[in-house]
Amino acid sequence: MTEKVMNCEETKRHVHEYLQKELSEAELESITTHIANCDHCEWEYDFEAALNRTIQMSCTETPAEEIAEKILERIRSIDLNDIQH
Amino acid sequence: MTITLGFYDSAIDFGLMTEEATPLDAEAKRIQFEEQAMPLAPYLYSAALKNTRGNYYDAEDLVQETFIKAFKAWHQFEQGTELKSWLSTILRNTYINKFNKKKKDKAVGGLDDLEDWQLGSAESMSAVKELSAEVESLKALSSKEVNAAMRALSPEFRSVVFMAIVEQLSYAEIAEQLEVPIGTVMSRLHRGKAKLRKLLAEFAKSEGYNVEGEES
Ligand SMILES: [Zn+2]
Repeated sequence: MTEKVMNCEETKRHVHEYLQKELSEAELESITTHIANCDHCEWEYDFEAALNRTIQMSCTETPAEEIAEKILERIRSIDLNDIQH
Repeated sequence: MTITLGFYDSAIDFGLMTEEATPLDAEAKRIQFEEQAMPLAPYLYSAALKNTRGNYYDAEDLVQETFIKAFKAWHQFEQGTELKSWLSTILRNTYINKFNKKKKDKAVGGLDDLEDWQLGSAESMSAVKELSAEVESLKALSSKEVNAAMRALSPEFRSVVFMAIVEQLSYAEIAEQLEVPIGTVMSRLHRGKAKLRKLLAEFAKSEGYNVEGEES
């Protein structure tokens, strides 16, 4: 059995598939082995994982309040202005 | 000035068009609406984001329009019934009427090819130090800035990034929903995230963050 060893470039190219759990078992094994022995790739994977967490946070927390403000503004201008026409 | 029928109806119900109406009636209804419906804005926003596949602009429009409609039809809401599902229904109908058509009009595919996402690897020969600087600057960035970067992505990339990372959908599911090949999904995710990184690095630079000098 020949085990395919991924180099740095191949490993980095798979980072998103790794994080999205889209790798085959063989690929996963090859990558985990590589990362364990390569600081640069480990950094790369950590970075992308951290970025993903920030993206998740940024999509769930921020803008609802701002939108609520805009809605209130519009609602408060609705009947009083328009209905008198 | 034209007034739509629905609006005219609700104006009457708000008590503004009848003799005995006092502004307080409308005011009381408005307060009631604000107290009951507005706290559900975050919930509706996340539902809208899912509907629009992470398109913030459309999601905002959708939520705003839903609330305006709900406000105008507030007299139709039966107190004591599930407000969440009442609002969700309005959201869904608004989405179907307004955005579904837009989606169908959109041309699919064409731009992406697989080899494109490999272009990024040429620049990734950067040193560990450089990357760790990037990690540090990412920590310094608030989710507000990441949100701004997401908004700066083109819709094709933003959708895939959102569906994969926030909604945690598989490539196959994304491909099916967007009606594009899986290779396109991969390519857009890779390129979308590369663009995000570039944007965030620019933000970090303009904010004056750096690795060594941690300001207190
Ligand atoms: Zn490596």
